[in-house]
Order: sequence, then structure tokens, then C-alpha cells
Amino acid sequence: MKKKKIMKTVTPYLWLLPSILLMLIFILFPIFEVFRTSLSEVSRAGIIKGFTGLDNFAKVIKGPTFGLVLKNTVVWTIVVVGLSTLIGFALAMVLNNEFRGRKIARAIVVFPWATSLIIQAGVWKFIIDSDYGTLNTLFMKLGLISKPMNWTPTPGAYFAWECWVGIFVTIPFVTFCVLSGLQSIDAAYYESATVDGAGFWDKLLHITLPLVRSSLTVSTVLNIIYVFNSFPIIWTITKGDPANRTDTLVTYLYKQAFYKGRTGEAAAISVIGFLILCICASVYMVLSLRKEEQDA
Amino acid sequence: MRKSKEKMYIKSARTPKEKIFRVLLYATVILLVLVTLYPYFVMFTTALKSRAEIYSMKGTLLPIDWEWENFADIWKLAPLGRYFINSIVVSGGATAIAIICGIPAAYALSRMKFKGKKFFLGLVIVSQMFAPVVLLVGIYKIMSMLHLTDTLLALVFINAAFNQAFAIWLLRGTFMSISPEMEQAATIDGCNQLQAMIKVLLPVAAPGIVTALIFVFINAWNEYTVALTLISSDILKPLTVGITVFNGYNMIEWQYLFASSLFATIPVVALFICIEKHLVGGLTSGGVKG
Repeated sequence: MKKKKIMKTVTPYLWLLPSILLMLIFILFPIFEVFRTSLSEVSRAGIIKGFTGLDNFAKVIKGPTFGLVLKNTVVWTIVVVGLSTLIGFALAMVLNNEFRGRKIARAIVVFPWATSLIIQAGVWKFIIDSDYGTLNTLFMKLGLISKPMNWTPTPGAYFAWECWVGIFVTIPFVTFCVLSGLQSIDAAYYESATVDGAGFWDKLLHITLPLVRSSLTVSTVLNIIYVFNSFPIIWTITKGDPANRTDTLVTYLYKQAFYKGRTGEAAAISVIGFLILCICASVYMVLSLRKEEQDA
Repeated sequence: MRKSKEKMYIKSARTPKEKIFRVLLYATVILLVLVTLYPYFVMFTTALKSRAEIYSMKGTLLPIDWEWENFADIWKLAPLGRYFINSIVVSGGATAIAIICGIPAAYALSRMKFKGKKFFLGLVIVSQMFAPVVLLVGIYKIMSMLHLTDTLLALVFINAAFNQAFAIWLLRGTFMSISPEMEQAATIDGCNQLQAMIKVLLPVAAPGIVTALIFVFINAWNEYTVALTLISSDILKPLTVGITVFNGYNMIEWQYLFASSLFATIPVVALFICIEKHLVGGLTSGGVKG
């Protein structure tokens, strides 16, 4: 009898065991290693020599470009997540209507989600190329411009294009999260609101938004994490150059670790990034959950 | 519900305001589709141009000569076949491990009560906060310890681990939407829990499992950063890293880059379209409800 009881308590953990082992070895251990490395003196060959406290953090923060990189990261995350959420939400409202070819339109809209970021970024790099790019060809054929334009005159312009590619590939995820929320809304709500004389904005603010809030929270939190950590787009288009002007934390840390051999500092950047992400995500979760409770 | 919506549309489509709305709706959808397809159009048409045409100052929308040979040439210029097999091995292996570990975990999370359930779910979410790129320093370390650097097995494990959270979310969402009564009946008939899960739950949950399978497969297929860092032998590169050989330092062979990109893209986009409908419902329902 006692044995049976023990089995009953232990069983769920046995079911979880393979999954826990997998994540323990390949995620939690690397996390532990990154934290340990960030607090250690590391040789160029990557061998840990000893505890140095917050030295690596001090070196990173005092670095001449760190402020710029941090600013880029914040701009990148806010612009990409903000605009893709806004546009993705609007597109979900559009695609939620009944129209001919709706299924095909929806299938096409997921293309960027399913395509490797490295390939998407490669195509856009070609599209905006100032010498051979096809955007100039297209706009000239359409009569929008009369002679080829330089689409990337400044590092800032490159960065803006990188943000656009980020937005382009993030929209489908938002759209589909919101769509799944929209589809669970009973049409009767809208019908009775119309009877009561509610306009488009009233319906949007008082029916649609509160009911898709949980889908929107999931997509926004996940997107903050993914966009903040996104590497291939910037790596493909500019590699963070010229002179770190388009670097975000992840491309910067990649260069520190694998080009410059400053493993300790790279690990410190990872930890800083994680802390920022933790704060943002939890603030957002708390705020949106509180709002949800208020509305309920 | 759908029927009543359609009826509404037919009835109200007569008013002029509604007509303008329909026109605007179609215009938006067409614009949306065109913008989304534009990069794919560029990829396809550029893949069929000659290098001279791409690097000529006079840009063209469609190729002057359709160079279908480009698609044959890429196989001679790079070991694409090998890259393709590597991608299949990595994605297939990662998917198998992620699902084999994910199914029992999702089962426990949806069917059993135990201490630390919330903690485990929290852990799964935290694991999502670290993208592999942020952990490369640590990933490199564990792979050196296991003597797995520069092996496909390393990519299999990393992709499986980092997709574990999504696999569990999707599967848990599916399992929770299925009533446990059938399994309970099977247990009374003498099945143990494992048998009940395999014989009763899994067949019913098949669509959800397939969705999770394909989703993990696509993510692993499209992964770039870890493969770039851990793989140094050319013959072990997966497609995403392999095709960048055409992205040289001096001159980019755009036509070959895009021909091979198309080849790496089409299979996964096709797979994605199959699961698109099931995917998001699973993600949001499995992820939100505690």
C-alpha cells in the first residue's frame, strides 16, 4: 500500500524526466555556464582562470560603443514589436472578414513565418542594393521614381531597412495569434452593439480588444523575446557595421565571443541582455494581466 | 455561426457604404498579398537570370533569358545534396527527440496533479527567454565536454531542447482539449497509464501531434546561428549555412544564392501551409491556460 502511494507521487516526475533531462543539459547548463563565465577571468582560448567579480560587466559597460549598441537594441525591439503588432492586428481584422479567396490569402500571409530568416534577409539585402537592387527597377517601372535611388545612404537607413525586414517576418505570427482570438468571438456581440448604435471604434475598443487581449499578450511577450534575441537579419544585411552603428546586443556579443575572443565580456553581455528581457517581459505581463482583471 | 455571418453579408451588401467597404477590403487584401509575395518573386526571377543580367546597370523585372540551368549548376558548384541530407538529419532527429520527450511531459501536465507543476511550466517559459545565440558560449562549452562540437548530433540536441517548450505547449493544448474519460475507461479495462495513452489518447490527438512535429521540423530546418558556430567542416553544414557559400566576400552570386534558397524554402513553406490552421489555436490555448 505504501509502495503504491510512493509510486503515485513519483509517477508524474518520471513522465517529465526525459523532457527535464533534455532541457537541463542543453539549456540550463549553458545558462549556468554563461553566468559563471560572466563572473570569471577567461583566457583567449576560453579557459576559465578564476573569479573576477563584476570586472567583465564593468569592461562591457565602459566600452565606447556599448551605449550605442544598447540604444540600437531598444529601438530595434520597440520598433519591430510595436509596428508588427499594430500592422499584424489590423491585418487580422481584415482577414477575419468573409471574402473570396480568403483561404489563399491566409496561406500566402504565413510565407514569411515559414521562411528561414537568413534567406528572407538575403533577399531584402538584394532588393535594397543601391547598384543592382530590384526595388529601383520595380519603382521605375511603376513610374514612382525616375532615376535609381540610393536606399541606404546612411547607417541609419540600413538600420531602418533591417527593422522593416524584422517587421515583415514578425507580422504573420501576430496576425495568426489575433485571428485565433477573433474567431472565438461570438458575432452576436457585434450585432447587439450595432443595434445599440455603436460605431466601428466603439466596437473595436469595447468588444474586440478586451476579447483578444490574451492572444495579444502571448504574441507580444514571445515577440519581445524573439526580436530582442534576433540575430540573422542584422548579421546578413550589415553584420552590425559600419563601426557598430547597426549592432544590437546579440550581434555585438557574437563578435566579442567569436571574432575578438573576449568570452568573458560576451557572457556578461548575455547576462545584461537576459536581465533587461526579464524586466521587460515581467512588467508587460503584470500590466496586461492587471488590465485583464480590471476588465473582467 | 458562419452561416449567419454570410447571410448578414448578403443582406447588407446592398447598401452603398457596404459596397465601398467591400472594395477597400479587396484592395487591402490584394496589396497585402503582393507585398508578401514580392521577396519570393525577386528570389524566383533572380534565380533565373544570368550573372551578367543581374550586374548590368539596366535592371529588369523578368529575366531576358530564362536560365533554367542555374538550378542544375548549383548542384555542381556546392555539395547541396550533402547539405540537404544534413538538414534532414538535423531536423528529423531534433523533431523525433523533441516529440518523444514532449509527449510524456505534456501528458503529465494535462492529466496529473503534482507538486511543482507551476514551477515546471515557469521553467519552460524561462527557457524560452534564452535564444541559443545568447547562450552560444555555454552551448559551446557543453558540446566540447561531450565531444560533440562539429557534429550533426550537437545540432540535433540543441534544436530539440530549444523547441521543447513549443512542443510541450502545443501538445498540452491538444491533450487538454480531449476528454480523459476514454483513457479512464481503458484503465478500468486493465490497461496501465502508458498503454492507455498510446492506444487511446495518441490516435485521437494525432492532428495536434502532427502539427507539433511539423512545427519543430521547420524551426530546426531554418535554424542558422548555432549551425554557423558549431559546425566547421564543410560537409556537415546544413542548408541554411551551406548556401551562404554563394555569398562570397568579393562578389555575391545572387542567382545561385537564390536558386538554392528557393530549394531550401519551398518544402518548409509547403509543410507550414498544411499546419497553419491548427498551429495558433494550439499555441495560445496551450500557453495561456494555467
